[in-house]
This record gives sequence, structure tokens and C-alpha cells, in this order.
Amino acid sequence: MVAQLVESKPIAKPSAFLDFWKTFSKNKMAVVGLVMLVAIILVAMFAEQIAPYDVTTSANITSRDIYRPPSAEHWFGTDDAGKDVFSNFLFGARISLTVGFFAAFISIFIGGIMGIVAGFYGGRVENLLMRFTDIMLVIPDLPLLVVIVAMTRPKLINIIFVIGLLGWTTTSRIVRSQTLAVKSRKFVLRARAIGAGNMHIIRHHILPLVMPLLVVNAILVISLAILNESTLAFLGLGDPTALSWGQMLNFAFGRGAMSAGAWWALVVPGLGIVWVVLALTLLGHGLEQVLNPRLETHHLMPGRPVVQTDAGGVSTHSIAGKPVLLEVQNLSIDYVTEGKPPAHAVEDVSFSLHEGELMGLVGESGCGKTTLMLGLLRLLPAAGQVVGGKVYFMGKDVTAMSEQELLDVRWDGISIIFQGAMNALNPVRTVGDQIREAIIKHVAILPGDKVDDRVVELLDLVGIAADHKEHFPHQYSGGMRQRAMIAMALACNPQVVIADEPTTALDVMIQAQILELLDTLRQRLGLSIIFVTHDLGVVAEMCDSVLVMYGGVTAEYSDVDTIYNSPRHPYTQELLKAFPDLSNPEKRLASIPGYPPRLDALPAGCRFAPRCPLAFERCHVEQPALHSLNGGHVASCHLLENLA
Amino acid sequence: MKRQQYLLKKISWAVFTIAFVLVLNFFLFRILPGDPARSGIHDPRLKRDAIEAIRVRYGLDKPVINCIEKVNPVEFGSCAVNPLDTQFFIYVTNLFKGEMGISYHTNRPVAEILVERIWNTILLIGAGQILAIIFGVIFGIVAAWKARTTIDYVALLSSLLAWSLPTFWLGIILLFWGSTHGLPIGGKATPGMSSLPWTDRWVDIFRHMLLPTLTYTIVFMGEYMLIMRSSLLDVLSEDYILTAKAKGLSTFQILKDHALKNAMLPLVTVMAINLGFTVAGALQIETVFSWPGLGGAIFESVNRRDFPVLQGTFLLIAVSVILANLIADLTYSYLDPRVQAES
Repeated sequence: MVAQLVESKPIAKPSAFLDFWKTFSKNKMAVVGLVMLVAIILVAMFAEQIAPYDVTTSANITSRDIYRPPSAEHWFGTDDAGKDVFSNFLFGARISLTVGFFAAFISIFIGGIMGIVAGFYGGRVENLLMRFTDIMLVIPDLPLLVVIVAMTRPKLINIIFVIGLLGWTTTSRIVRSQTLAVKSRKFVLRARAIGAGNMHIIRHHILPLVMPLLVVNAILVISLAILNESTLAFLGLGDPTALSWGQMLNFAFGRGAMSAGAWWALVVPGLGIVWVVLALTLLGHGLEQVLNPRLETHHLMPGRPVVQTDAGGVSTHSIAGKPVLLEVQNLSIDYVTEGKPPAHAVEDVSFSLHEGELMGLVGESGCGKTTLMLGLLRLLPAAGQVVGGKVYFMGKDVTAMSEQELLDVRWDGISIIFQGAMNALNPVRTVGDQIREAIIKHVAILPGDKVDDRVVELLDLVGIAADHKEHFPHQYSGGMRQRAMIAMALACNPQVVIADEPTTALDVMIQAQILELLDTLRQRLGLSIIFVTHDLGVVAEMCDSVLVMYGGVTAEYSDVDTIYNSPRHPYTQELLKAFPDLSNPEKRLASIPGYPPRLDALPAGCRFAPRCPLAFERCHVEQPALHSLNGGHVASCHLLENLA
Repeated sequence: MKRQQYLLKKISWAVFTIAFVLVLNFFLFRILPGDPARSGIHDPRLKRDAIEAIRVRYGLDKPVINCIEKVNPVEFGSCAVNPLDTQFFIYVTNLFKGEMGISYHTNRPVAEILVERIWNTILLIGAGQILAIIFGVIFGIVAAWKARTTIDYVALLSSLLAWSLPTFWLGIILLFWGSTHGLPIGGKATPGMSSLPWTDRWVDIFRHMLLPTLTYTIVFMGEYMLIMRSSLLDVLSEDYILTAKAKGLSTFQILKDHALKNAMLPLVTVMAINLGFTVAGALQIETVFSWPGLGGAIFESVNRRDFPVLQGTFLLIAVSVILANLIADLTYSYLDPRVQAES
């Protein structure tokens, strides 16, 4: 669904512009930049009306008027020719802006056409055009500009053309890559399939999507053109009859403003350039943020403080006399976004994990499983916040730990096997190095070769030959990376390992290998494992207990036999129906219609009610409590109220 | 094997680009009007033998190139011409011999002038670039780490402002300020210092370098900061940073061991692409501070219409930038283990 929405062709309606304007006007940088730009353009347009002096005539100017400091008559003093700097500044704005805009127009035109042609037609044309672009990109443009302008007549029109003809390289590259990206989108392929011509596709499908990027790029190109023009003028290569800001600086610098102490003749025109370029830069930067929003959050941002709530102490009950390692009591986690109500990602979840126990954590994507696991170690993203409940690890309250205590528990006490080990391993460090790092961090001082021995031992444990130790992650296959991740998780002999969907994105054979490996390791090392998965078959085969989550809450929690043989929550029942039963291969698989609720739009009553085949009125208005059934079996469903 | 192919590809590309620049440099100075030697021979006041002497001296008596008869309005040689006896061939062979012509202004060989000056430019660019990178990277790290705080916004705005400053204007302002605070107003050394011990001479050069280097640092620091910030933000939201955090590494350890190298990689590419801007910056700074480098040479030769020097300087700058680009590419391939796998 979402994919389709993105793929459908955006139609430029007036409302689209209004939407854009709305987000645009919220971006302070872009607005300030635009206001600054409009202001200076107005000044340039109405220079005649604003200017206090006529700059075209030298009448009434005497040698005493040269380099007069700012006064009531001349706000910004006078220049080397005794003329009013302020008036010159106003007319200079006109020339600088004209050169900038016209030259940029030429550049954008050339670069845009080259980029679209290269990206759209591909093949040899693209190769040739892009090679040429690459060459022109490498040749330093200012020296080339200087050479060409020096050898032609310094007329304003020449300068505009030379700057324009040399400034297209970035545009061409950006437009080409955007065209390439757009070209293979579905609506373009569709248009082609129904016989639309190349020009039609370019005009109606590609241009609209290239345009936003082109506008941002144009702003950069304009500012570069203005800077180039003023530099050329300053170097003495400007049109002597067109007094641009650069030319004003050239005259002042070359004609003794410095020794005369006439700072105003040097400062004022420069500030004009800074004003325009800064306006364009702010506008461009802001526009890019509007068109291409980035979250700008990352894993090292300080997390939100844990909200401490009253909760009981460590419960000491144990199954088969084994001590409890990890005890989670009524844990609730919110995602907090400014200006929006908090999203309850995890609510009131409790479970306990005993020594040597393997617990399955089951639920569809988006049910809060990963959030819950990250919450255990307080590894939540910046927006995540523990808003209630307790996590006890070996009797110690993780939610109340200091930063230093946390660092010690992480990996040494509880480690995590992340899903998708390609991204979970650092691409520019060798696998062995990354395992070594964990050992050095947590295991009391070991001599270097002992650490290496341990790394080899760990890799051997997961079936990776020692000579792969110094290889980089991209040299590993998918299965090997996942096994390396497991080796890394075991590096410090943790009591608890969290395996967060360790086998997604792997093929079935490798999945089986990884699972077998985990199970063997558990038996050999006496690990406790929390196994996060979609795969009920794996759960049935390996786990001791199962926690089923739905929409951030516990649906059902019990030992594995109870879950499979007498599931009480409709969600668990539906999940099991969707899972093939080997003893009854003829049975039809029934998937659950619909999707799990979005965190920002949770239903008022039971979160499963909209998809529940057994739902009745009360389910839609009242959230069910967790009902305890016999033998530690809990489930949250109104239907169980009378049974409990 | 893959690595060798990669190196070969990059090197041959650089050679091709240099060849392009050689040709461009040759024809630019022949097609565009403005060379005094070329326009001078049309001066009606000159006697025939004077014209002939100029033509022989600057090699204008030879055909420009063989096989292209005429491209309006420039006349070239016909195919009958011996290719070894054309201006283009002589230009190329001279270049390989390190001869770039003779300055109109000083009558000294261009190559000699350039060798003298390139070291000054390298000194200036080197110092400025190193400082700009160091400060840019440090501020970029702080801004990314403290993303969306006041520190970040201040750093972001000041780097945008620094980017918007015309280099030459910042130079002028600093020069103005420096000249009222006892700093030298230009050049590389105070005249008459050559008899002093080398420590004094270096102190003198250092004092002369202070303002140009400061200008350079301010102008380029902003951009490095922006790139470092955005690159580090990307890296810090990667999964492997979460892994590192889960491993119990401290913020400092994560930044140092997992984020920095990864985030610095794009910086190497950007530095390479920026070399053109670097040269442009040097050109402006050397002009403002009368620094005797290549940029200064361009400025002076333009004002003196000293085209052999202009041509030689442009060629040297372009080739240096291409080579520096090549070095950056090769460095990148050593730094990032993934490059060998992809290419």
C-alpha cells in the first residue's frame, strides 16, 4: 500500500503548492534567506528611486570629496572617485545580481539538458557526456575563467557567458542521477508501455521530479556565479564600465583605500556580496531540508530519562528451582515527539527469564518486540522513553542504574544478536577486531595473544575458520555474518543473550544452521536466551516459554506447551492457524486479515479488536486486563474474565 | 587483481584528463584574441623583418597543426605539413623537456619562475588546508554529536556564513585589521632579512603567513564542518553504532573507534573535488596579500599581458589538481576496504 502511494505520479495541484508552502514557511532558515534575497532584489530594482546621488555624473565633485568618511550627507562615505558609496552600492547590486542570475541560467540550462539526456538515453551518449563532465569538474574553474576572460574583451556580456559556460558541471551530475532514479520508477515504465514518446515522458514525468533538485542546485549555482563575477572583477578582469560590487572593491583596493584608512569603501560592497550569497545559501540549505527532510537523530543522542515508578521488589519464584536472571515488571515505553501525543510502543509488559531458559517473543512486525528488547538495556532511540515499570537483572534494577553501571551490564551480562548483521557490523573494521574489542572492554586485563586465542575460539564455536578473522564483513556471506554476530554476542560469556530475529533475510538452509547452533550453544554454555521471531515453528521446537505481543501489549504469556495446546487469546489462536501443522498437512492456512495498529493510532479498546473474529462491543471501548490463568499462564482478553 | 584494475583505471583516466588539458591549454591561447605577440604582428607600423623576427621567436612561422586547414578565423596547416614541424608538436615536446616558453615581462624561462613559486603556494595551501581540516572536523564532530542543540545551530550558521564570505574580501578585511596591529601588509618576507639567521627568517615568514593562513582556514573550515557533520550524522544512525553501544562502549570510544573513520571517508572525496576551490582560494589570497605563489603569478601575468607565464601557470595548476585528485582516489581505496570489492 505504502509503496503504491509513493510510486503513483505526483500531480501538481494547487494544494500541493500550499502544502509545500506550509512546510517551507516553518523552516526558519529558508524564510530568512528568501526575505533577504527579496529585499536585495527590490533594492536593485528601485536603485534610481533610493539612491541619494546620481552616480553617472562627476559634476560638482572635487578632489576633496575623495574617501570622505561616513556622514549625514554620505551614509557610507565616498569612494576613490569622490562618489557616494551608498549610491554605487545600490547600482552595484543590480549588476552583481544580473550577472549572477543570467550566468546561472546558462549553466542550469546546459547542465540540465546534459543531465537529462545522459540519464534518459544512457549508453554511449551518457558515457560520453559524463566523461566530459568529469573532466570539466576536475579542471579548476577560476584559473580557467581568468585565462578566458583575460584573453577576450572584458565586456559584461562576455563575462556572463564565460561564467555560465563553465558552471554547469554540478548541475549535470545531479540532474543525471535524479533522472536515472526517476526513469526506472513504475509510472514512467507504465507511460512507456502505453506508448508515450520520449519527449512526452521527459516533459510530463521526468521534469516535474527533477525540478525540485534543480531549483536547489540553481540557488547554489547563482551564488557561485556571483562570487565568481566579483572575484574576476576584483582581479581586474571586470567590465570597467559596469561598477559591480567586485569592481567597487577592485577600485578601492587598487586605489589606496587601505592606506587612506577608508574602510567604508572596502566593507560596504563586500557586505553586499555576503548578504546575497548568505541569503542564497540559507534559502538553499532550508529548501533542501524541506524537500529532503532528515530526522537528524542518532544513536549517541542522550536518551530520555527513565520515569521511576513504584514497583515491587524482585520476585523470587523459580521454575524447577532455577534462579531468575531477568525480571521485567510492568514495563512501559513511549515514543515522544514534540507537538504530538506520546506513542505507547510498549505498555505494561512483564515476564521473567530463568537460568538456562529460552523464551520466545512472538508477534507481527511493529508490535513492539524490538523496542521492548532495546528498552531492557536502555538502548532506545532518542525519542524512546521508559515511562514505567522495572527491569531487574540478577537482582539489580537496570532502570535505576548509572551510565557507568549500564556500560558494565551491556554485553557482559546481556548481549544482543541484532537482525541483519550486514549493517550491525562495522564495514571498515575486520570481524576479528570487532570481537576483540568486546573482550578487551569487559574481560579483566588479558595479554594480547590470549585475546586473539579467545577470538579464534569463539569463531570456531560458530563454525568460522580462524583465517577469516582478519576479513571484513563484506567478505563474509550472509550466514557467516550472522554467525560472526553470534560469536561476538558470546564474547564475554553473558548470562542472557537476546536474539532479535537472527535469521530473517537468510535462506532456509542457513536459518536452520543458525538455529541449531544457537540451541547447541545454549545447552553447552547454559545460556538464557530471548528469541524474537515471527517463526512459530522455531518457537515450538526450541523454546521453554512464549510471550506473544500485540500492539505493544502482552497478548499471552505462558510455557510453550500451553501456548500450543490451549492458546486462550484469539490472537495466539489466529497466529497458530496461520502456521502449517505437519500432523495435518491438508489443513488450509488462514492468515489474519488486516495489519497491526499504528502506534500513533491505537484503537480505544482492545488493540486486537479490529481484527479479532470474536470481538464484541466491549472489546472496542475497553482495554482488557491481563488475566491470570492456572500455572503462570496469562492472557489479556475480555472473554477470559470469568475463567480467571 | 581487482585492486590493480582499479588503480589502472584511475591512472589512465588521470592521464587522459591531463592530455585534454594540454590540448585545451594549447588551443585556448591560439583561438582567443588577446595575445600581444599574435596581435602585434599585425601592427602596420612594424617593418617586415621585425614581424618576421617576432614570428620566428615565438614559433609563429610554423603551422599550428597538420590536417586541419582552417577553422574560422584561425588558419592552421594543411595535411602536407610535416606533423613534427607544427606548433602543437613543438609545444608538446617542449613541455616534456620542461620548457614552457619565455616570459614577455622578465625574459626569464617560465618554468624557472613557476618552480620558484610553486613551493610558496604549497606552503600556504598546506598550512591553510591542514588547519581548516582539523578545525572543520572537530567542529563537525561536536555539531553532529550535539545535533539539534544550540551548539549545533550556532556551528551550522557560522559555517554557512563562512561559506558565504568572498575569500578575497575576507582577506582584505583581515589585512586591514592586521595592518593596524603591526602585522606585515603583504609579501612573504621582509626585505633585507636574508643575512639574518634562519630562525629569524622563519619567524618573519611565519608572521607574513599568519593572515593569509587565517583567511584560508576560515573560508574552508565552514565547508569541512558541514560535510563532517552530515557524514557523521549518517554514520551515527547506522546499526553498527547501536551494536557498539550495546557492547557497552562509551560515547567517546564509539566516536573514536566506530564513527570517525567511517565518517571521514566522504571527506577525502570532497577534499579532492574541492581542490579546484582550493586553488581559487589561493589565487585570491595570494593576490590580496601579494604572496609570491602561483595565484599571484596568474594575477600579475594577467595585468602584464604576460601570456607565456599565464599559460604555464594554468597548465601547472590544472595538472596539479588532476594529480591531487588521483592521489585522493587512491588514498580512498586504501582507507575503505569496500572499494576493492565494488570496483
